[in-house]
Amino acid sequence: MAAQPRILMVFTTFLLAQPLIILFSISIGSLAIPFTSVIDVLVGGFRGDDVASTVIWNIRLPRTITAALGGAGLAVAGVMLQVFFRNPLADPYILGIASGSSLFVALAILAGFTFGMVASPYDPYFLFTASFLGAAAVSALIIMLSSVIRSITTLLVAGLMISYLASALTSILQYLADIERVRAFVFWVLGSFAGAKWIHITPMTVAIIAGVVASLFLAKPFNALLLSDDYARSLGVRIRLVRLSAIAITALLTSSVTVVAGPIGFVGLAVPYLARLAIQSSDNRLLIPLSALLGSTVTVAADMAARTLLAPIELPVSAITALFGVPIVIMLLIRRGSL
Amino acid sequence: MMLKTDKIVSHHTETIREYRNSAIRSHKLTVGYPKRIVVSDVELEILPGEFIAVIGPNASGKSTLLKTLAGLLKPLGGVVYLNGREITTWSLRELATKLGVVLTERVNPGLMTAFEVVALGRYSYTGVLARLTRSDREIVLKALESVGARHLAHRSFNELSDGEKQKIMIARALAQEPQLIILDEPTTHLDARNKIEILLLLRRLAREKAITVMVSLHEVELALRLADKLVIVSDGRARVFNNPEEFITGAGVETLYSMNDGISFDDVAYTVEVHDEPKRNVSVFVIAGAGKGALVYRLLKRLGYTIRTGILHENDIDYHIASKLRADIISEKPYQPITDNTYLKALHMATNSHIIIDASPPIGVLNSKNLELVKELRRRHKRIVKVVKEDDTLDDYGEVRCTLSILPRILEEFTK
Repeated sequence: MAAQPRILMVFTTFLLAQPLIILFSISIGSLAIPFTSVIDVLVGGFRGDDVASTVIWNIRLPRTITAALGGAGLAVAGVMLQVFFRNPLADPYILGIASGSSLFVALAILAGFTFGMVASPYDPYFLFTASFLGAAAVSALIIMLSSVIRSITTLLVAGLMISYLASALTSILQYLADIERVRAFVFWVLGSFAGAKWIHITPMTVAIIAGVVASLFLAKPFNALLLSDDYARSLGVRIRLVRLSAIAITALLTSSVTVVAGPIGFVGLAVPYLARLAIQSSDNRLLIPLSALLGSTVTVAADMAARTLLAPIELPVSAITALFGVPIVIMLLIRRGSL
Repeated sequence: MMLKTDKIVSHHTETIREYRNSAIRSHKLTVGYPKRIVVSDVELEILPGEFIAVIGPNASGKSTLLKTLAGLLKPLGGVVYLNGREITTWSLRELATKLGVVLTERVNPGLMTAFEVVALGRYSYTGVLARLTRSDREIVLKALESVGARHLAHRSFNELSDGEKQKIMIARALAQEPQLIILDEPTTHLDARNKIEILLLLRRLAREKAITVMVSLHEVELALRLADKLVIVSDGRARVFNNPEEFITGAGVETLYSMNDGISFDDVAYTVEVHDEPKRNVSVFVIAGAGKGALVYRLLKRLGYTIRTGILHENDIDYHIASKLRADIISEKPYQPITDNTYLKALHMATNSHIIIDASPPIGVLNSKNLELVKELRRRHKRIVKVVKEDDTLDDYGEVRCTLSILPRILEEFTK
């Protein structure tokens, strides 16, 4: 309670910074569009006859929105899983969701599985479907396991095992496939917001907003879970219900990002740290919204850097988040001590 | 005849009322895990405001029993009544307003402050965002005050000492405003002072706030000193003793912990004694009395000497300790002057011992023979070490005087 001014300051800073970063991300690129024009175009709506309007509405806006939503979703999933597993190394992919996605995309690109669809293996809509099926399959498996397995540590190990299994199958597919297809697959695995289309954005927006709002309702039981399962239960927390909801929500958040952008590393692991360091609190009622805000800001910035640093070459977003994020996190940890 | 029936009826209704008044009661309760019964047929009845210690060896099922009574584990059989209502019919939320729990496990709530941890006690009272009302806030502060930790409120929980952390966890249970608090080995990680402080705090809560406190402990000697009732868990059973003394007179502690040759429990002093076989083949005769011998005995025992002592009266504290340490004792009946016969036995034993220690007991009418004993042994040129408070000086009789701190060295010297 004593630290309230600090919390207020942190929230205000990022509430102001986020829209600015988003505007900035829309304005820069191979075609530089000044801030004022960006605002004009956004207010004026899509106009096919205007180059700036076309670039913004067809390319940069969907891409930026996807990055912002994706970053928020991953960061919130990260906060929840770190509390859930009482493990600071937990990240959104710990339950094997990305590996499941990768495996199904590998089946599509490398092995030519069509999942009953008539499509080219390079068609983004088709990959979207494959990746969704993979994420959904693993999420369903984990949810089923979590109702059988009592210990969260065992669940963690189960998630890791699923990851390894999926990766093993994926690597066999990679080994057997021809080089052209492997290249296409690796490109997907590196993760990028470049493929973002409006058609993805509506379901993703709904999924991520629903996930983040639902996670806010879990903030209270999650605070009690910081002590231990038994303590939480003795305080009145319905552990099984909370566990199941938490897994379902993180699966939803993680899948919806992975499906659109592939696995984006680091955000889900590091943003919760940064949020905790910034407000010096473990209160999930604050950490969840702040992580969402911070995650979207960081991811939009990283995406911006990925496509402009070596333009016209585009770098993988995960590489940027890690390259810039790791030194910052380490520096903060050294300065502020442990968590 | 009429009168008699009335009496029976009234007695019967009284029993029912008592049950309803009991804070927690179990009937034919069996606890354990799906494939393993740990304790069975537990019949307990605990009244409001009682301070109950649960003791028993490791892995006897104390925790399992307490967790079942706290509703954290499902009973394998039988029932638990909380306030006269079966515990499985309580919702978790209702239960949390009646019953608080403190566990052994260390918790790591990240960057939470002590206040935030205690505020979790309000969990079942607050809304979906856990906003504390003014009255919630006051209850949290009062709970902190009850455990004497209000000044810790804004400290980070993880930076507190183990004792302080445990106080905060108790305050958190208090913030639930429970009628019953169940604590599973809350003193495990604490030092001697903190152990006693926490137990006194719990007893005070039971007395002053009429909260029923059930606490499992490894410290038998503290349980015996502080608890109103004892629950003894061992060999798959739980027995209730209405006071600790009842348990002691049943020669309980040694059986409970299967203490054998090496250790014993002192039923008078409530302490555990160690008396393994002596390591050296050197016998030391200690002339003692009135407690002067106690520390000498302990020192000799620890260093592995064979202890012989005399001439002690059977009501002397030295006699009690020496017998607990399994020493050879030459003794006299209480309040009787030492007879010649006893004196000769002592002289014989002392003469045949390697070393004599004069622990400088106070000499009075009844034990004046001890003085004679020293003189006679000196005449016979036995080696005598006189234990005194000041440092060593050789006196006129050629005997060695020393303090306890250099006694081991002197003994070593004499043994060569």
